[in-house]
Amino acid sequence: MSSPWAVQPGIQPAAPYTYPQTLSTAYTPITIRQGFGQAYQPQSQYPYSAPANPPPPSAPAMAPPAEQQQKFDWPDSVRNYVQRTFQKSNLDTSISRQEMEAKLKETIRSSQEAGTMYTLNWDEMPLPQQMIREERQRALMVSMASLKTSGPEPPVIALSSSKKRKSSDFSEPEPTNGSTVPWRSNSKAASLGDRISKPANSPMDAPLPAKSKFQKHTEKRQRRGDGYRSSYRSPSPQPASGPIVGCNQELEKNYLRLTAPPKPEAVRPEPVLHRTLDLLKKKWRKDGNYVYICDQFKSLRQDLTVQHIRNEFTVSVYEIHARIALEKGDLGEYNQCQTQLRALYKAGIKGNSTEFKAYRILYFIHTANRTALNDAIADLTPAEKEELPIKHALNVRSALALENYHKFFQYYLDVPNMGAYLMDMFVKRERLAALAKMCKAFKPELRLRYITEELAFESDAEAAQFIIDYDQDLLQEREDHIVFLTGKAGRRFEDAKSEAFRRVDLKGQI
Amino acid sequence: MDGLIHEFRLAYAGMKGDQLAETLRPDTQLYANKLRAFWGRGDFHSANADLEFLFKHDQSRVRLASRDETEGWIAIYFSYWKAVGEILAAEGLLNGSRSSWVKVYVAWKEFTLLVIRGYTNHGFENWTIPCLYVAGKYLRLFAIRADAERSSSNNDAAMTSFGDDFDPTAEANKLLHDCTNHLTKIFQICLTDRAPMEASRKWGVYYAINLLFKTYFKLNSESLAKPVLHAVSAGRTDMPSIDKFPKSQQVTFKYYEGVLSFLEENYVEAEKHLTLAWLMCHKDSHRNLELILTYLIPCHLLTTHTLPSAQLLEPFPQLQRLFWPLAQAIKKADLRAFDLALRDGEGEFIKRRIYLTLERGRDIVLRNLLRKVFIDAGFEEPKGDAPPPRRTRIPVADFTAAIKLSQGEDIDTDEVECLMANLIYKACCSPRSHIIPRL
Repeated sequence: MSSPWAVQPGIQPAAPYTYPQTLSTAYTPITIRQGFGQAYQPQSQYPYSAPANPPPPSAPAMAPPAEQQQKFDWPDSVRNYVQRTFQKSNLDTSISRQEMEAKLKETIRSSQEAGTMYTLNWDEMPLPQQMIREERQRALMVSMASLKTSGPEPPVIALSSSKKRKSSDFSEPEPTNGSTVPWRSNSKAASLGDRISKPANSPMDAPLPAKSKFQKHTEKRQRRGDGYRSSYRSPSPQPASGPIVGCNQELEKNYLRLTAPPKPEAVRPEPVLHRTLDLLKKKWRKDGNYVYICDQFKSLRQDLTVQHIRNEFTVSVYEIHARIALEKGDLGEYNQCQTQLRALYKAGIKGNSTEFKAYRILYFIHTANRTALNDAIADLTPAEKEELPIKHALNVRSALALENYHKFFQYYLDVPNMGAYLMDMFVKRERLAALAKMCKAFKPELRLRYITEELAFESDAEAAQFIIDYDQDLLQEREDHIVFLTGKAGRRFEDAKSEAFRRVDLKGQI
Repeated sequence: MDGLIHEFRLAYAGMKGDQLAETLRPDTQLYANKLRAFWGRGDFHSANADLEFLFKHDQSRVRLASRDETEGWIAIYFSYWKAVGEILAAEGLLNGSRSSWVKVYVAWKEFTLLVIRGYTNHGFENWTIPCLYVAGKYLRLFAIRADAERSSSNNDAAMTSFGDDFDPTAEANKLLHDCTNHLTKIFQICLTDRAPMEASRKWGVYYAINLLFKTYFKLNSESLAKPVLHAVSAGRTDMPSIDKFPKSQQVTFKYYEGVLSFLEENYVEAEKHLTLAWLMCHKDSHRNLELILTYLIPCHLLTTHTLPSAQLLEPFPQLQRLFWPLAQAIKKADLRAFDLALRDGEGEFIKRRIYLTLERGRDIVLRNLLRKVFIDAGFEEPKGDAPPPRRTRIPVADFTAAIKLSQGEDIDTDEVECLMANLIYKACCSPRSHIIPRL
């Protein structure tokens, strides 16, 4: 850039720079109209974000700056309230000024939004510092309560005699069952006694051994979760800039798709979510209402996500939801859970990874997604390939790839965990494929018994029904057995097979 | 700055697109000194003033078609200048200042958008499209580096969407995903140009597609390639036919088209495209030839049941290592050797996504085995003077014994029957001649 023209005196003034214009046109500043009157203003959050530097405590009232006064006329009761807040006698040294201000703003805003600014009895209103104290107390109670209720629940014995395991069979030996927060159990140094003797600062203040990055992350989150220790909420909430920390104490919450950054008031913190999960598990066992459960799990997952909680508890939430979805054949939800689980396992968070990696393979067999199947196999380590559920899934895959229906149906009869729910989804089309081959290879007839056994039907009747559903004239009774007239089947099963393979039906999958 | 703009003038006057694009190439290996000279002292004001002067007032400036176009090029070079600053800093070639690849990506994206705008708003002519190529090519490279940088620093990034779940893969490749949006834009402004063919940007279509596909493959989202192919084939009538494009673009495109068909298990189509790519590929592009063969060999195996010859594999030791044992096992009808070869190469095969295809070669091994049994069965009793006919009925027990020998493991009759049924179904052998019926 040693251009001689740059320093020529005559030129620079003559050719004014264009860049100030081009650079500042990212947005056009618009002056805010001030003449809309009262009806419009309650929605405006502008007054609260404007003062970058709060007025010193000696100021008699945190009176809004002049330009804001134009826009909103504060009732005297509110002014008095603000004044009381900052009175020396009411100050609490354990509460920082920022917290107080944040709380104050929030209180006034909520009354403004609710339109109760003029009707509220501000003289009776608890001061922000009082509210903060109460909140801290509540949070403390919650975490104490969750410690108390963490005893084992009486195991529920599954009465089902089916060969498939139900999702509820799994819910007992959950590693993170109960409400012990994983980060508490993570740091083994802090025994229960430690925590009781100095509840506020046990695991954090103790000299810590060298930590993994993940542990550090968890602990950072813990500090956030234990908000009552330092700052319950950041002074000026900037929801988009990082994980929020919720303060909702409700156990149940309906799922609502987010369209804007979530508000902390609507999000449940992790200890509450632990109790939510316990409640949901109980309800699922008792009522089995899938619509309700699915909705609740979705909101539970959402709360975990917006707070960036990723630990063993997260894994168990996704695992349980995945199992329930599997049991109900809700593949859409199941797939969402499995995608998350894959990432969580990859991040090194413990869970039932072999079980779910096996499901993943079966799932992609069902959806006939070869690319994803290839990736799922590529994800496996040699040791994992020897694990029973995964080995089974890989065998199923290989049997299908080689079109070895004999082996395939043997694997179908012996599926670990809940894999049978997944295999059920594609067993029909594989039966059709096998029948199509049999019709071509074995002529003119086959014993029905042979088909029942080869294609793993539960009984001859079931096998007969399967065939009759396609053609009524293909079975014939002999003296002591029934035969399947392969020679007369023609292209019937061939067509049914191509139809079944043509489109994989992913119920509910978007 | 003078030097670069001088090059621009030469290229522009001669309407040399490639030369023009070369002035915008941020290759720090090739042009380290040139880029540093271009960056100069990094002074915002003087850079801008220089450009203004060089394009508008200098005596020896080239006459651009319009004032609009001049503005377009000034904006592009100014943005390029800023991006070069970031690149030099990120590479550590500037004393004192550091930068990050994320910043480089953002700066280069800005630049890319300006280049695109040059075509939409400033009336750039079609011979300048190599500039689009350079913009797109480096946008992709910078996105990859920026993503790698982000994942190694791994700080909890801000939530960008309000999804209910984490999107881990999207998070890891966030910038590359973003990059595909801009590459798509490049593709579209090429495809949708309605100017007469000789002045059309349609000549940039295949370069843009290849870049886009390359990115899709990197992102593991080949499914996105489909709409692109549809868009091209829909507009095929008013497009120059593909053989009019530079050969390098043809080969790359055919390769991607082939692999896409391959992944959809459409081996006949795949074979067609890959063969074209194979024939056109430059004989010294060793790596490309190897890539094409990686998919072409499994294709051939399934469509025509033919195996690669030793001669074909010879120049490619890696392919030789992978495919030769398999080919030998198939030829010898050795089930055990086949299984072993497949297992040994499993990691590599899966990485190249050919495992699931090669696995099916086992059918061919079985078929060859059956043929051996058939030959071994000898002849029927001769009738009269006619030469004795072959024994065409093979007992299942014979085949069972053969499989046992070949794979070294036991197998039950039901499974053998199943395998037989498969062979018959695929018309490897006829039902009447081979199976002794079961009842």
